[in-house]
Amino acid sequence: MRKRKRTGWRRVINGINISTFLVVVFIGAPLYWLIASSFKTPVNIGASPPQLFPNPVSGANYSQAFNQYNFGQYFINSLIVTVLATALVLILGTLAGYALGRLPMRGKFTLMVSLLIISVFPAIAVIAPLYTLLKDLGWLNSYQGLIIPYTAFNLPFAIWILRNYMLGIPKEMEETGRIDGAGPLRTVWSIILPMALPGIFTAAIFCFTACWTEFLMALTFNSANNFKTIPVGIATFGTALEVPFGPIFAASVVAVVPIGILVFIFRKFVISGLTSGAVKG
Amino acid sequence: MTTISTPAEQVPVSAPLVGRPDVNRKRMARLGWSFSAPALALIAAVTIFPIVYSVIMSLSNVTVTGNGIALNGFTWSNYSTVLSNPTWHYALGFTLIYTLITVVVELILGTAIALVLQRLTAGRGWMMALLLIPWSMITVINAQLWAYIYQGTYGVATYLFGIQNILGTSTPAIIGLMIADIWKTTPFVAIIVLAGLVMLPGDIYEAAEVDGSSGWSTFWRITVPLLRPTLALAVLFRVLQAFGLFDLPWVMTNGGPGTATTSLAILGYKAMFQNLHFGTGAAVATTTALLVLLGCLLSLRTFRVQVGKEN
Repeated sequence: MRKRKRTGWRRVINGINISTFLVVVFIGAPLYWLIASSFKTPVNIGASPPQLFPNPVSGANYSQAFNQYNFGQYFINSLIVTVLATALVLILGTLAGYALGRLPMRGKFTLMVSLLIISVFPAIAVIAPLYTLLKDLGWLNSYQGLIIPYTAFNLPFAIWILRNYMLGIPKEMEETGRIDGAGPLRTVWSIILPMALPGIFTAAIFCFTACWTEFLMALTFNSANNFKTIPVGIATFGTALEVPFGPIFAASVVAVVPIGILVFIFRKFVISGLTSGAVKG
Repeated sequence: MTTISTPAEQVPVSAPLVGRPDVNRKRMARLGWSFSAPALALIAAVTIFPIVYSVIMSLSNVTVTGNGIALNGFTWSNYSTVLSNPTWHYALGFTLIYTLITVVVELILGTAIALVLQRLTAGRGWMMALLLIPWSMITVINAQLWAYIYQGTYGVATYLFGIQNILGTSTPAIIGLMIADIWKTTPFVAIIVLAGLVMLPGDIYEAAEVDGSSGWSTFWRITVPLLRPTLALAVLFRVLQAFGLFDLPWVMTNGGPGTATTSLAILGYKAMFQNLHFGTGAAVATTTALLVLLGCLLSLRTFRVQVGKEN
């Protein structure tokens, strides 16, 4: 990064390429190890020295994860909880974000700051009261016992994101709706919603990722085998004596794929969500 | 709301907003509250109520009964037990040092990666996609992956570096956890910093180049000060997250060996759900939350002051 002389640009580009390569290795090597190990045979996964390439390539870990370790059930549980919680967050969050962004309410600022504070509260501080509450309701080991807390914990961030998008929509848009005789819900649905779509995507992908990866509450509330989510399942595959890394990695690859695809498709929105605070600042 | 007032209210909402701004404003405010009520009620029920209850629990004599817990009167004893407990002192120190080291390393590495990606002419989109994989990964998977890498007899780290029993020895276990954390969250910092870099005005750099400023001094004198709000935000996010550290040590070391990797969250969780000491557990959880809140307010304050200066 010396003074850029024309003659030296080739060297600079090379330096950048080497650094980029190092970044790819730093991030890619552990990922490669995860995928490669998932295709090793049970014997080879414990081989010393470790095998760089799985030889022979084996699908045994994948069938074991599903047949012996009940991973299919965990996957379905995660999917149900994540999809429903995300849907609820989007419905409630869009309405609240619209109200807090565009309607004249008193104490809006206080509300937004309170939401911000709630969203940084560590989950450990609420886990015991929530546990007793869910126990009293008979909702331990149930879908709603995770969906409702996940919805509530992801709402503050979603409301913030959506409110910021709502603020940017021109005022005339709603008035067009009113002149056409549309009611308030209809105005939100047919005029505001399409314009806030990027914000909704951002909130959706963040909420989905948070629910898909959440561990502490899932571990505490849904410990029965039929209601475990993927993180709890993967954490409890083994016994104290032996950790079956092969099936764990096979399950991990299956768990990473859907979220990886979603994040890849919506990467623009993920990045805008990650940096929305920076833009505000 | 009575049945008589309902139709009367629906008609004017759909009417054009001309003439009576005061009436409309009131109606709009009411609409706002009814739109946000479901979300706010749910947040209050599932987060605010437990927070308050947790504080009450930490100030009560909690006994475990057959079908739950019972609170029997006020006491400070949970807090005095926790504050005088050497395990809590250790957990507090461990969590603070862990947070400090991981956040500093992630900030340096993340900024370096962002600077590299900023100069990348082709394939930046693919690099961003690669960076997002660790970010979106389940922490438990990250933990299992690194537990395998560190495994005592056939782990690849054991093979490459010849260190035996990494997760069974205190200091290597702590460093091992930090590396796993740094791998997963550095990309997050890199993305935030890159977004900040992209928004910096280019003409300042041209001026610096004309003045003969070297790369290093341009970085310290121009990039870092301009980037400060972005860096502050990244630090804030990371500190809050790191301070709640739970998933990684729970899976990789279960807080061990001994209590070497017992974070505040692990300590609180074990007190409550393994030893059924709900009072002291709640005291650990509440003090952790207070520390997080304090840290958050302090950083927000510093952050705002800096933004104010720059404007």
